[in-house]
Amino acid sequence: MSDRKTAVVSTYRPRGRDYGYTNARIRGMRSRLLKQSFFDELMTAKDIGAIIQKIMDTEYGPDLEGRLLHGRNATQVDEALKDNMTRTFRKVLSHCNDEATTLVTTLLGRWDLFNVKTIIRAKHMKLDEEEVADSLIAVGQLTQVDADELLKQSDIRRVVDTLATWGLPFAVPLREVLPQYEEEEDLSLLELALDRYYYEWASKRLRGWRANKEIARTFLSAQVDTMNLLTAIRLLNADLGEEDASRFFLPGGDVVDEPLFLELSGMSDVDEVFNRIKKTPYGKPLDEVALLFMEKGSVSVFERALEDYLFRIAFETSKGDPLGIGLTISYLWAKANEITNLRIVVKGVTVGMPEERMREELIIV
Amino acid sequence: MIKNRLAKMVFGSAFLTTMMVPAIAFAEEAAAPRDPSVDIAMYAAAGASLCIAAMATAFAQSKIGAAGAGTLAERPEAGTTLIVLQALPETIILLGFVIAFMMTA
Repeated sequence: MSDRKTAVVSTYRPRGRDYGYTNARIRGMRSRLLKQSFFDELMTAKDIGAIIQKIMDTEYGPDLEGRLLHGRNATQVDEALKDNMTRTFRKVLSHCNDEATTLVTTLLGRWDLFNVKTIIRAKHMKLDEEEVADSLIAVGQLTQVDADELLKQSDIRRVVDTLATWGLPFAVPLREVLPQYEEEEDLSLLELALDRYYYEWASKRLRGWRANKEIARTFLSAQVDTMNLLTAIRLLNADLGEEDASRFFLPGGDVVDEPLFLELSGMSDVDEVFNRIKKTPYGKPLDEVALLFMEKGSVSVFERALEDYLFRIAFETSKGDPLGIGLTISYLWAKANEITNLRIVVKGVTVGMPEERMREELIIV
Repeated sequence: MIKNRLAKMVFGSAFLTTMMVPAIAFAEEAAAPRDPSVDIAMYAAAGASLCIAAMATAFAQSKIGAAGAGTLAERPEAGTTLIVLQALPETIILLGFVIAFMMTA
């Protein structure tokens, strides 16, 4: 999110808007994504040893080999998967042309946002550094070294000061609300300021008439819409005034604008929300899980449905121009999806989760 | 968008030159006794057809080459296919050469 150059190992990087080389490499990388049959086999593994053996034969092998020196357990496999994700994302970035670099770093900013929010949450709750370091995924502009340095800071004010020293724009919204946070000790103030700032910044950066910007902006808008929808559903029955609800609205969405968000959050139940949004693209994915929601009564059902829908949109971006940004976005999200699925299976097998339960948890579109 | 426009311009001008200029030159040759200016036009057309066809080939090969290099880095086993793909645009310069040859022979 700043002008700082991302540390990448690269020998050749195309310029301008030349997608030939980049997309050819990404197609090659995409051909190595794991198939459904691999997951079927993996879920039948007896223990972590069998899982390690199977994963060693895939492209995760080199990352796993390094980690196994520290022990043959689920934590090390998890770390290896994270290492692979960071390495792959950085590799993709290093092969992107100028336009794609701007678009991809803008979209990957959500991981920077996630990391900064995690660090701030950790500082707020005074959590152990090492415990938090495991949950950071440094695939954006913040490297692992940056994230570790931020974690070392003693409190939130120092984290903000460090961000400002590095010239990272996340410092701007944090500085604005820091005095209020110190007074009220309300973490949501910082989180909302960060969310709002990132999505405003990203929407502005993706504004333009070029087809590739349009693809990236559509995807970002879908992310914002799903988040606003979820927030609106969570706010149902919260009995907030209009002014309060608008605090939670994130700008940059195409379908869920502020008036619709306020209308949805002021409704009395989920049925009303369904009726209001059934003609939007989000109507169908939510309608599909309506029965499951009645059964479980948990908003996490919608969260999962919208997450799946978002992945589906990401995968579909590759179906347009073969020499466009869609393939890169699709690959990055497919890779993240694959790693999430692998982590689910690794955890599932380790704790002895039944295969059916694991299958439910997997995000395979 | 611009890339497409550039490609259209290159291929369009190659087509026009190779098809139209020789036609005009031969038309002039048939209509009147051979004039030195007709020879000049003919050789210029032959040169242009070869030159523009070479540029079109280079343009196509540069794109295929870049994509091929990317593919080769990730999937070395696709090497043979890539050599065939890289050689395909050679037909453009061959056609340019044949036209130039036909005009001057």
